Amino acid sequence: MRKIMMLGIATFLGAADLSTAIESPDAKAILLKDALPAAKVHTMPAGCLTDNAASIARGNYIFHNLNGKDAKENPPEGLTRLLPNGKEKQMGNCVACHNIEGAKGYGNIGPDLTNYKALYMDSGARTGQFLYQQIADPRKDNPNTHMTVNLANGLFSESEVCDLMSYIVSKK
Amino acid sequence: MRKLSICTALFSLALCGILNAEESMSMNAADKAMYAEMLENNPAAMDVAEGEELFNALIGQEAYAKMLGIKVKDLPVTVAGFPRLVKAAGKVVTLSQSLQMAAADQGKAIPKLESKEMVKMSAYVKSLANDKKINIDVKANKQMQEMVALGQKIFEERRGGRGLSCNSCHSADIVGSRLRMQALPDLGSSETASAATWPAYRMTQSAMVTLDKRMQQCMKNALLAELPLGSKEMVGLEVYVAHKAKGNPMQIPGLKR
Ligand code: HEC
Ligand code: HEC
Repeated sequence: MRKIMMLGIATFLGAADLSTAIESPDAKAILLKDALPAAKVHTMPAGCLTDNAASIARGNYIFHNLNGKDAKENPPEGLTRLLPNGKEKQMGNCVACHNIEGAKGYGNIGPDLTNYKALYMDSGARTGQFLYQQIADPRKDNPNTHMTVNLANGLFSESEVCDLMSYIVSKK
Repeated sequence: MRKLSICTALFSLALCGILNAEESMSMNAADKAMYAEMLENNPAAMDVAEGEELFNALIGQEAYAKMLGIKVKDLPVTVAGFPRLVKAAGKVVTLSQSLQMAAADQGKAIPKLESKEMVKMSAYVKSLANDKKINIDVKANKQMQEMVALGQKIFEERRGGRGLSCNSCHSADIVGSRLRMQALPDLGSSETASAATWPAYRMTQSAMVTLDKRMQQCMKNALLAELPLGSKEMVGLEVYVAHKAKGNPMQIPGLKR
């Protein structure tokens, strides 16, 4: 009798030990830190959309590159490959989803942005504010969008969003 | 080994040329020969064979089946249904986690999920199910229902540096579109059947990679923080992704770009 009870206890303990053998780290903190703020309206700052050549050059660079480390060419004035903390600077990689003048190896997930000014801005179909919001946080317009969030999550600064806009609207 | 110029086993040779256009490299005769050779003779078969030796030394089919509470002859069908609720764990576990339990049950040192040994053993044990269809049952019990719901939530949750979710690139309305030059795969389709084809040899990495590692690689590429192997959330993702590929026959090891 005693023996059987001991055995019973042993198997019970054994089973408990088995579940403790499983590697199962907690990911809650990681997910919390990685969470996205809720979508909100972002208002285009004054002087945002510009024909300043340096701004357009930065927008061009951010649009076509994935990050500062992998970029083939050196960044233009006002952009660096690395952040002050030594980590690589992430670029927009917009070309992964959008065609635009001179794009190489572009994807087709997002609309073609070629000839954007003539087609969409001059007709009044699109405004600077629309562009700013779309790049800053496209979830405002379409909660199920497949596009990246670029300002709300701190990927870019306000002026970098303006650089991107200025590039898209520029004459190429 | 030349890495970049080899293209995927999943696409036709003609498409390969397009996919690699970014590198402005089409397949030359030597690459084509290597590609054909790999289809014939998957380099990961070596890993699977080593996995068999490791598994037999550490656990063995008898002890593994006993720990799972099944007969040895039912191993293939059971393996084709992971992640699943394992009684001795009291929760839903991946196949690799069940191997950790079985090692503990044998009083052996428990291999880490990340270890080479575990990767090889899990590939071998999965290969026992080859040609059996994925039969995961996400309604089987409360625990499975919770895990598939968690998996779907994690799959659809936008987060990280670019505010993307897995669904941004793998939802039904977007598969087949191109991200850069790469077609977005439908994880559940018969051509891709992710859960039935990983661990797979990744030609771009010249190594065998598991499904959970492959998912971590997507997280890293898209700037989502990597969730740790074995976490509830990773197990949930695996349940959700396996459910997508339900009904597809297991083909381990796979061969991928
Ligand atoms: C992963 C895919 C993806 C990436 C990366 C991406 N976009 Fe988009 N973009 C889309 C999609 C899809 C739309 C269509 C609208 C929608 O679904 O929200 C869109 C729409 C737009 C529009 C609105 C066009 C119009 O007039 O309707 C602009 C402008 C734009 N994107 C700019 C950018 C810029 C700039 C970047 C890089 C910082 C970028 N996109 C990165 C997918 C993407
Ligand atoms: C920005 C786009 C993007 C995001 C976000 C993304 N993926 Fe992917 N994923 C891809 C592409 C492109 C491939 C195919 C790459 C290739 O062919 O090598 C892929 C491949 C995969 C595969 C392998 C498919 C096969 O061959 O069996 C799995 C599994 C996968 N992704 C899961 C995930 C999970 C889980 C997440 C979220 C944590 C995720 N992906 C997020 C673009 C993405």
